[in-house]
Amino acid sequence: MSRPILRASLKALPSNGSAFFIPQIRKLVFEYCEHQRGSALVRLFLVKQIEQLAHENPHVEFVVKQRNNKRPIVRGLYMNDRDKVIELTSLEPPSIMQKVQLLLDSSGAPIKPLKTAVMSSTPATRGIWSGLHVQETFKI
Amino acid sequence: MAAAKNMASALSLLRSQPSHYVVASVVGRRYLLAQGDVLTLPRLKDVRVGDTIALDNVHELGSRDYTLRGDPLIPPNTVNVRATVIEHTKGALETVVKFKRRKGYKLTIHNKQTYTKLRIAAIDIARPPIQQFA
Repeated sequence: MSRPILRASLKALPSNGSAFFIPQIRKLVFEYCEHQRGSALVRLFLVKQIEQLAHENPHVEFVVKQRNNKRPIVRGLYMNDRDKVIELTSLEPPSIMQKVQLLLDSSGAPIKPLKTAVMSSTPATRGIWSGLHVQETFKI
Repeated sequence: MAAAKNMASALSLLRSQPSHYVVASVVGRRYLLAQGDVLTLPRLKDVRVGDTIALDNVHELGSRDYTLRGDPLIPPNTVNVRATVIEHTKGALETVVKFKRRKGYKLTIHNKQTYTKLRIAAIDIARPPIQQFA
């Protein structure tokens, strides 16, 4: 009597990049303070570089938000409903750019220790060996 | 014992089977890859997220019943293995503490290794050129 096929096992596995690639970052939110010294360089970055950055990344929604008396941050929101937040207090504009690029390059997946280089959900191409399906049955 | 006499018949035998794998060298290391796999490599500095890369150094192309093995590589343009760059990430934070007793030496190193992830988009076996009849 064969096991019934469960409906959930027939769903398609996520495979971004196989046929098409969809960038996983959807929004970048910059929060800064109008008065404090720690946000001064972030304000400079927002005035000078953010428009160019937004043009270069048309798939991302850029939001600039004033949040007074708090530290400046950048928050990246991703398609898997997760977000990554990086504090930008007293960072120079090139360093701010580095942090923003880190968010743009990420997929939002949680960071885990690397175990194997290849992660595969494909069944074995050559099949799994079976001792019963050879010319001479395998004897232990 | 070879199942096929020439390259064209070997490729047509391989193409007749539903799924394939390749053994390819990427950045100096060999990996066994199939379509849809995610390959994590040390950070590749000259590619951007979304770019497509062709894997040139293929040692072996196989299916369930047939294998084409190169010496050491199979000829170029035999198989087209495409990979998409899906992410540039960093690994989990690793802390290394170096310590020598009674010497006042204690060193703490924090490291987040940088990686690039590739999705193997396609393994396309080359078709022979269509014969033109004058």
